[in-house]
Amino acid sequence: MTSQVFVFYFAKSVELTGVKQEEVTAVPTPISSRDLWNLLVQRHPRLSILQGQVVLAVRQQYVDIGDQVVTLGDGDEVAVVPPLSGG
Amino acid sequence: MSDERRDILKLSRDWLPVQDVVDAVSSASCGSISVFIGTTREDEVDGRKVVGLEYEAYELMAQSEFIKLCGDIRERWPTVTHICVHHRLGWVMVGEASVVMAISSPHRHDSQQAINHCISQLKANVPIWKKEVYDTQEASWKENSECPWAAVAEG
Repeated sequence: MTSQVFVFYFAKSVELTGVKQEEVTAVPTPISSRDLWNLLVQRHPRLSILQGQVVLAVRQQYVDIGDQVVTLGDGDEVAVVPPLSGG
Repeated sequence: MSDERRDILKLSRDWLPVQDVVDAVSSASCGSISVFIGTTREDEVDGRKVVGLEYEAYELMAQSEFIKLCGDIRERWPTVTHICVHHRLGWVMVGEASVVMAISSPHRHDSQQAINHCISQLKANVPIWKKEVYDTQEASWKENSECPWAAVAEG
């Protein structure tokens, strides 16, 4: 099964991809967070600079990059989340 | 119980009036309002001076993470009455406030403890980012040591 998701980029990841948001079609689901990350790195190779210091957010829930499996529905929001620096 | 407990997060490009944040948590049942103001320091980094900060946020998720944070605060300090955080987005010059938070409680212990926890947890969990801009026109994205996936993460 595949889904079409909206991917949002923030902070340093905007500079690395040149993009703030995009629609990504045909994303396999269910998918591990590692495979989802790799899919995004394939689209924007410079994202690999963030490797080890980034997490994803799926439907506004943080997901560590690893074996955790997520299910994605059409229209779901995915975000690339570099280290936070609020406050 | 008279007033409904308020949890307010406002993200705004406007300058933050501290009084507005204080007024948002005032209550006849509260004898204590604790306030934290985070201001932009004129740091010097490798011979370059910080002239300001540029903030951005994943606004929808900042709101949902803030609600979780307020739940955590209220579990730890059940007498906390109202919580209000105003955080700036966009350009904040050196010397200006980037964040103002106020928490009220009947007696001072809970609001004082809660305000400390609030700023630490905001730095760890709420999706907001800042970029330091230097007098050389260079810029660099900052990372909070409280954030578990930062390179310089604590513990």
